[in-house]
Amino acid sequence: MTSPISGRQPQAVRSALLILEEVAAAGVGITAKEISAALRIPPATTYRLLNLLVAEEYLVRLPDLGGFALGRRSANLAPLPLATPTAARTVMRRLRERVRWGAHLVAFDRHRMQFLDPDPDHPPTDADELSRHPHASGLGRLLLAEHDLPDGPLTRLTPHTTVDRDTLRAVLAEVRESGFARQCGEFHAALGCLAVAIRAPGDGRLVAGLALTGPADRVAAPNAELIDLLRDHAAELAPLLA
Amino acid sequence: MTRIPGLRSRSPVAGLDRRALRPLGVFAQSVATTAPAGAMASTPLLVIAVAGRGALWSFAIAAVVVGLVAACITAFARRMAAAGGLYSFTAKGLGPGGAYACAVAMIVGYGVLVAVALAGASWYGGALVARLASGSGAVAVGAGVALVVLLAVTVAVCAIRGVRLAGRVMLVIEAVSIGLILLVLVALALTTTPGAPPPLGVGGGLGGVAVGVLPALAAFIGFDSAASLGVEARRPYASVPRAIIATATVAAVLYLVATVVVLAAPGATEGATSPPTGVSGGDIGWASVLMDLGIVASFGACALAALNTLVRVLFSLAREGVAPAVLGRTHRRHLTPAVAVTVTVPVIAAVVVVGTLAGVPPATVFGALVSVATLGFLAAYLLVCVAAPRFLARIGELTRGIVVASVLASAALVAILVVVLVNAGTGLLITVAALAALGLGGWFVLRRRRGAALRAMGVYDETTTADVLAAGQR
Repeated sequence: MTSPISGRQPQAVRSALLILEEVAAAGVGITAKEISAALRIPPATTYRLLNLLVAEEYLVRLPDLGGFALGRRSANLAPLPLATPTAARTVMRRLRERVRWGAHLVAFDRHRMQFLDPDPDHPPTDADELSRHPHASGLGRLLLAEHDLPDGPLTRLTPHTTVDRDTLRAVLAEVRESGFARQCGEFHAALGCLAVAIRAPGDGRLVAGLALTGPADRVAAPNAELIDLLRDHAAELAPLLA
Repeated sequence: MTRIPGLRSRSPVAGLDRRALRPLGVFAQSVATTAPAGAMASTPLLVIAVAGRGALWSFAIAAVVVGLVAACITAFARRMAAAGGLYSFTAKGLGPGGAYACAVAMIVGYGVLVAVALAGASWYGGALVARLASGSGAVAVGAGVALVVLLAVTVAVCAIRGVRLAGRVMLVIEAVSIGLILLVLVALALTTTPGAPPPLGVGGGLGGVAVGVLPALAAFIGFDSAASLGVEARRPYASVPRAIIATATVAAVLYLVATVVVLAAPGATEGATSPPTGVSGGDIGWASVLMDLGIVASFGACALAALNTLVRVLFSLAREGVAPAVLGRTHRRHLTPAVAVTVTVPVIAAVVVVGTLAGVPPATVFGALVSVATLGFLAAYLLVCVAAPRFLARIGELTRGIVVASVLASAALVAILVVVLVNAGTGLLITVAALAALGLGGWFVLRRRRGAALRAMGVYDETTTADVLAAGQR
């Protein structure tokens, strides 16, 4: 989608950023007139930029239609470093004592993944790499099952990667039903993972994922006991993370 | 978690497929409702008949008026996303009275537009079948009625199956039929030797141009219909205004091109389509068959698009408590106002079928319906134009530009409405009076029985706690 602001309009970009900052500083409910007065930007320009920021969902209009607030998309501009509760680390340590595979705890923030507690003995793939190719990893599939498929093309990372959209949709429907995702050799040819969702106890929101990574051929086995073990630990982690 | 007063946790229009439709689908909705393919084949002839060589000016004036109306509509569409389209907008500027009047005008406009499209498809399709089969008028009537029933069922299924499918269907049909008709028009212009230029028009210059504005304007109606997809569009504050402006622009360009072609080769397009020449057998040029097919397809897409908007207006009214609550129910899987579809489609199809079977000539059915629909749309446009500056003043974002646009558009629309009503035949006047009386009666009944619902008119897809950064959990 093309934006009405081109790179040749530095003043407009600057003003838009100032407006974002002003709304963030003033808090919920600031009006267009107040923004225009505070920043000394002409009203018509302010309204146009506000409408643009609302259209792109960095800002939202409140139900009275006159007031503004930061939209959820603004969170992408400054991702908060997440702190992992000590109690959650303790649960993870206990899990690692019982399995020989790498055990990782990942937080989901919209479409981004962030490692809360990666396994120090089995360093995981870079979180940004995981976030870029959610279709190929177990954790990514938990996230996609919650939202929808991304618009862009699905990258084939290994010969086994599922890149057909319909096949992937069927896989995601299964994930949605069972609450756990599996991938064997689709991200790295030799590795696979099992991942279960961690949901907020109150509203069932997806907040995090708990994953085990191991050799691809071993992950392909039913692993019913391992999955039960993961589920138990996920249930223990849920109240600590939500 | 911060509590923000007035912020709900659930949108009042929940139940629709929220924020799922791509920009192209939103655009398809507006284009298909306007049906430029059908209009560019027929409207230039109508306008040239009254304005002569001034037809280009008539179209240019109509395009400017449409541009001003679009400016007023997008002032709303950039700020709120509603399923009710124009009437939800009007509610924010003129309150319940204006909103109710606009809702009635929209139901009449879009409801009758569905009928117009069905009648048009049946007229052109029936005549084409009769012509190809060298049949008589009875064949045309039979084929026409069968086409209405078939089309009504198809359109209803598409409308229930969801706006994503409907959008794809409409876009393909519209692109193909516009292409076909452009091709035929250009081919005709190239193969016909230029004859005498058309006369200056009945009114002689300026008067003819003014009279030509109405049919030219009628060719644009429905360009606003993307507004009713506000809830379902992805990034609605960007895609809906863009769809509305792009549709008005595309339609204006197509009509001007078609008019230029028709003016350059006078007489060429006469008899190019089936109905104007009647079912006379005669020569069946490939061009006329293609053009007829394009027009029938375009009418089909128009029926679907207008139905999409009509049922969303009814859905929105039902959610407000103004219309029966059952119309606000959505299909559990397809997330569309399915009940409203099943209620409206049979009624509209029945009107067209009965009219055709009663022996009313299809041209008469079509013409009468177009007049009523146009009046409904013009009234809705007038209300939303008057509402725009009041809405902006209320939220403290009024600019001089929108005041100028609103004043000019309102003045033009009032002038056109007055001219239409002064020149209207008794049939049209009686229909308008009856509809107005019905609307007014409904207003008094509703005010007594559901006063609270009327006062709360104008629900839209409000920002909910989940959309605000500070209010939701991270």
